[in-house]
Amino acid sequence: MLNQDRFTQLTDLMADRGWDYLLLYGHTWRKDFFRCLLNLNFSGPHAVAALTRSGELQALLSDPWDAESVTVCPASTDFHADLSAFSRRGGRVAIAGMEMMEARDVQLFPGAVSATFDVEEIRRPKTPRELELIRRAAELADRGYQYFAEVIEVGMKEYELVAEVEAFLKTKGAEDNFMLIASGGVEVTGMKPPTDRAFQRGDSVTTELTPQVDGYWAQICRTLVLGEPNAKQRESFAIFDESQKAAEDFLKPGVDIADVARVQNDVFRKYGFGEYTGSKYTRVRGHGLGLHCDENPYVLEDVHYPVKQNMTLIAHPNTYLPLSGYMVFGNSLLVTANGCEVLNRTERKLFQK
Amino acid sequence: MKRGWINWDQTELPRTAFDARLAAARRPDLPAVVVYTDIWRSNRVRHFSNFMPYWNRAFLVIPRDEPPTLLCGLSPRVYPWIRSVTILENILPSPSLTGRLLQLCSERGWTRIGALDFTRFPHDLHSSLTGIEVVDLSLEIPPDDAELAMHRHAAEMARGILAEEVPNGVGRSDHEFTGRLERRFRRAGAEDLVILLTIGATPPLPPRGVTLSGNFSISLALEYRGHWVKVVRNAAGQVQPLPAGAYKETLAGPYPYESGTGPLFAARWEMANQGSRVFYGDTYRATPAGAELL
Repeated sequence: MLNQDRFTQLTDLMADRGWDYLLLYGHTWRKDFFRCLLNLNFSGPHAVAALTRSGELQALLSDPWDAESVTVCPASTDFHADLSAFSRRGGRVAIAGMEMMEARDVQLFPGAVSATFDVEEIRRPKTPRELELIRRAAELADRGYQYFAEVIEVGMKEYELVAEVEAFLKTKGAEDNFMLIASGGVEVTGMKPPTDRAFQRGDSVTTELTPQVDGYWAQICRTLVLGEPNAKQRESFAIFDESQKAAEDFLKPGVDIADVARVQNDVFRKYGFGEYTGSKYTRVRGHGLGLHCDENPYVLEDVHYPVKQNMTLIAHPNTYLPLSGYMVFGNSLLVTANGCEVLNRTERKLFQK
Repeated sequence: MKRGWINWDQTELPRTAFDARLAAARRPDLPAVVVYTDIWRSNRVRHFSNFMPYWNRAFLVIPRDEPPTLLCGLSPRVYPWIRSVTILENILPSPSLTGRLLQLCSERGWTRIGALDFTRFPHDLHSSLTGIEVVDLSLEIPPDDAELAMHRHAAEMARGILAEEVPNGVGRSDHEFTGRLERRFRRAGAEDLVILLTIGATPPLPPRGVTLSGNFSISLALEYRGHWVKVVRNAAGQVQPLPAGAYKETLAGPYPYESGTGPLFAARWEMANQGSRVFYGDTYRATPAGAELL
């Protein structure tokens, strides 16, 4: 439950910055700052792991059931009252996740500073244990996509397919799964939650599966055609494949994350589709993975960050193209000493059924 | 979470229900009221518009004399989908929520606006809403008839499927049982569900690979089209009326559920059975005569 590597890094950070207390805040959707130190999948809407410079740890939680799970430190369950009591200690306070904390709770600590940037920076290179969990999540993503491709059929509704995939991933031990989907033809411009649209022959079906194992997420993006892919769908996939491979070939410690986006976009430009690499048609060319499924840095040409060994991210040049509508293709990647390791084992192909 | 079937059936939730809800939010002395939403904290904006941000976060701006406007971090590529499942026609791309809100205020000449639960806004948004006067509003939002019907539908779905499935859980791993429930509930139209399980030594917790015994208990939080309920059952068949000391969570606040009580609440409690801890609970409506099972 206690991430000892992070404990050491965070207490060192506190000493370096002169902070007396470091609060790691999480809420139900963004548990990542809390879980980077105290890996508890809490239920209540709020939680804080409060660390003192001398290394004493306390968990401030919302739900009594959560508190019973904490074995490594004292835990309390009246979140706002307990936080208020904690604030009366005084001293120099830093808060990781301060930006997403309720304003009334931040106001309890008038001089507090944000530790979000510093803690994110510590979290980017993953520890061996974290990498083990992300590898398991990537393996589950592969198995989940295999299952997705097996069970999809013409006439099934999008939400029914999601029900099947969710059931499969939970059965295999996923803690959660973030999944988006789309189906149809050139009219499809992006993924979203499932609808009651029934799959039709000729549909291009896009999905991103993002299973979570003991807090850590990995992702896979693939496109499947129901029936024989047409020439334009194949032409489109070839561009996505080349683009994503360009990122894998380029990625290594020291490169600028902006260039990881650029090499992907350059492939689209080479084929005359440069305009489809902008925000009108796409969000990002990838993003970090870890205790949040959409971690910084985003893979964008205007985001500059030197890539570090043991970072985990996905490169996915997902976008709309007039050839085939919205298409996705992406793999989770681990930055190694000299390049990157592809964590997904699913075939690099345009799936069909 | 929040990746299930988001839908709006107007025979179940008529457009006119939103007119009354929006009217309750508007203030004669304020040109607009702003409501915050994100992936988990979605109850309020769902109530006023049926919008559910499966990703990112948003502001719903409810002007005094106009239809509401959504300031949205999501891409315009998904606006047609948003329009298909909400009452919203006006959606403004808002990479910076407060920046876009302040721009809107400037364009409309609004110097003083209301914000629902303003002190509970995320700090980054709260601290950057400067240059205008923001009035912190709190609003009691008891569920209306349409909402009660949908909460009731969710409760009946939860109770019915659990009654059938709990006996099948004994001997299965908690992961396998969770997967079985995911399939049934999502195929039945559940938008989201959170499952906690115990075999009697602990309270219900996220599944962790244990085999379910005859004393296992399950806590199910279920969302049906934006309407949450909680139901707790045990395989031992232990049942007890709502005791005075039960732990209560409001289902009528900004979050799906949080400690406290209100017009609609979940309650849970613990019993002993053959040396094991077993749990039970359900969803209730507060009435003048006391708690009434929903």
